[in-house]
Amino acid sequence: MLRTHLKKWITSLAVTSVLAAASSAWAQEDIVLGGSIPLTGVFAFAGIGIDAGIKDYLKIVNDAGGVKGRKLRYVPEDTGYKVDASMAAFKKITSQNKVSLYYADSTGFSKTVNPELERSGAMLMTGASFGKELNDPKKYPLQFMVGPDYSEMVGILLNYIAKAKPGAKVAIVYSDTEFGRDPIEAARTSIKKLGLNLVTEIVTAPGSVDVSSEVIKLRRADPDYTIFHGYILAPIPEFVTQAKALGMKTAFMGTFWSMDNSTVMKMGDSADGFMGVMPYRYYYDTDGKSPMLEKIRQLHPEYQSTAYTQGFLSAMLMTEAVKRTLDAGKPLDGKNMKAALNSIANFDTGGLIGTPITIKGNSIPVGRIYKADMKQKKMLPVSDWITLEQ
Amino acid sequence: MRIGSAKQSYLADQALFDSTPQRAWFGVLLLALVAFPFMANEYWLYLACLVGLNIVSTTGLNLLTGYTGLVSLGQAAFMGLGAYTVAILQVRYGSPFLLNLLAGGIVAMLGGILVGLPSLRVKGLYLAIATIAAGFMTHFLFAHWAGITGGNGGMTVPPARLFGAELDTSFRLYWVIAPIMILMVFGAANLFRTRIGRAFIAIRDRDISAAVLGIPLMPYKLMSFAISSFYAGVAGGLFAYFFRVVTPESFPLLMSIFFLAAVIVGGMGTISGSIFGAIFMTLVPELLKLIVGWLPLGDNATLVLSPVRTIVFGSMIVLFLIFEPHGLAEIWRRIRRLFHLWPFRT
Repeated sequence: MLRTHLKKWITSLAVTSVLAAASSAWAQEDIVLGGSIPLTGVFAFAGIGIDAGIKDYLKIVNDAGGVKGRKLRYVPEDTGYKVDASMAAFKKITSQNKVSLYYADSTGFSKTVNPELERSGAMLMTGASFGKELNDPKKYPLQFMVGPDYSEMVGILLNYIAKAKPGAKVAIVYSDTEFGRDPIEAARTSIKKLGLNLVTEIVTAPGSVDVSSEVIKLRRADPDYTIFHGYILAPIPEFVTQAKALGMKTAFMGTFWSMDNSTVMKMGDSADGFMGVMPYRYYYDTDGKSPMLEKIRQLHPEYQSTAYTQGFLSAMLMTEAVKRTLDAGKPLDGKNMKAALNSIANFDTGGLIGTPITIKGNSIPVGRIYKADMKQKKMLPVSDWITLEQ
Repeated sequence: MRIGSAKQSYLADQALFDSTPQRAWFGVLLLALVAFPFMANEYWLYLACLVGLNIVSTTGLNLLTGYTGLVSLGQAAFMGLGAYTVAILQVRYGSPFLLNLLAGGIVAMLGGILVGLPSLRVKGLYLAIATIAAGFMTHFLFAHWAGITGGNGGMTVPPARLFGAELDTSFRLYWVIAPIMILMVFGAANLFRTRIGRAFIAIRDRDISAAVLGIPLMPYKLMSFAISSFYAGVAGGLFAYFFRVVTPESFPLLMSIFFLAAVIVGGMGTISGSIFGAIFMTLVPELLKLIVGWLPLGDNATLVLSPVRTIVFGSMIVLFLIFEPHGLAEIWRRIRRLFHLWPFRT
């Protein structure tokens, strides 16, 4: 009898210790952040910055002991900004690692991977896309974007215009791509709602060079403000130079991907005064308290792009979601992490965004208007932080 | 030692495989294809499916460009037609998977016949430019006929269903893509044992001579476009079920160039060339990634070597064109001859 009891006691002790050891091993398991990153191809200029931003933030977290003692491990793959290569990278990374967080490189990939993401239910995803379609928590329950969607970006610009010059004449110039057409419908509605006057819409091929006929059309419409969307650089410099040569007084504006300091400076001196919406503080922005920017400036004495900030902030918000999930004692799955992310209210990003942020849905509809000063070679703020209602 | 295939009857001449060893090797290949999904992880299964659908499309283009001599840069457009047809039928009507694929092939085929019409008057580079227009037109159609195609946002396709099973993973899709691929490759191989296939080859070799021999150019050229775009349409349909999203930008001109490169690198005018070309173009970039991953260069290896990898891939294509213009199929043929003739040299 005693021997049977002893046997049972030893067995249960052994089982408990194995389980304890296993759970302790699990507790120490790395949290993996996978990434389909465009390090080559047309979007490499941003991908390289995003990659560096993610790496730097994870290093800061890991150097400080990780999240609840667990290190964050970054596993990137180059995609060349191609959807099939991004999917291959996703499959490769997720089949070799237990991935909890993922960075996606494009709208196309974010849409394509969504059924897979929901099927596995294991990950929280963000990425480089600000596509309006992704800003739908019902359709994309495990994704979010680190900033306003493209429609919200144009909405922020229009809000600024409506305040600066009520009833202003507005023109929209956009590329004939999914990226370019994304906010147009919403822009038309907002223009009407804000009492502005849409005088013309111009569609061009992406990266087109000869825009002389479009500039003449723009001059005929004589807008007070001209908003570009769906471009990185070309044909914005051609528009700006030719319009200035024709004596036009319109103020040119852009959205996130054409608003990096280096991109605007490439437009040349005639782009002096070029404005646009930026959800983040620029690297050199010392206005207000920004300890995280200070840290970045210490890590890199040279200018870091806004794509870098996007990658950095993506890693920060995903880490915050992980932290909140673990704090609540819940398993790290996509649903829990998304709920944790959506519990973020009045969150201080360390000054990367100059106002506390609240994430209710899939976007962070906040931004500020900056203006190019070609003498200082800098983008300077001309508005306060504008937050749209979600 | 085997020094050739002695054919002593018409039946032997018509057989798809020359010899018993060929049949045995084909059996081994089939067994490997059956065993593969049980051994491969999700990543390799994904790549296998991708290779499968790329083989279907490359074979289609090879029928047109390699066998009939009609250069086309419209393959992505035909794939798009197939993909959208499948997506529309699946989303709106929930019609059966195989019927949708067939419809995708037929709609692409009709598109191919339309786009093939200029081939009656122009050829070579001129025809290539004419077929590029197909890409622009289909893009416009997909992006602006929003009521049907979903416009810029495209369409999300529910998973295919076959005999009640949902084909929502690479593992399950593999069992559909692989047989369709084999069927279509065999279809293409058989085509060249018929009057139609031989007419295509005659047109490719010298169209005027073919016409003098009594081959009517117009129907055969259009037939070649039709069959080729049918293949593209089916590949596009598989694409829709595989990626589950189709958007106007899913089928860019670069995709057509990808398939043309696959035909050239694999070997124009050979069925095995289509297979090798599709495998090369799909897998080599991934293999280069793996090699980069193995190099002990620390965290920044991916960042530093990604552009190098692209250059290596580009250089490999250029080197193939210089040193083996007949493509990978010719290398494969030489390897086979080496074994057949050993210890003698080819």
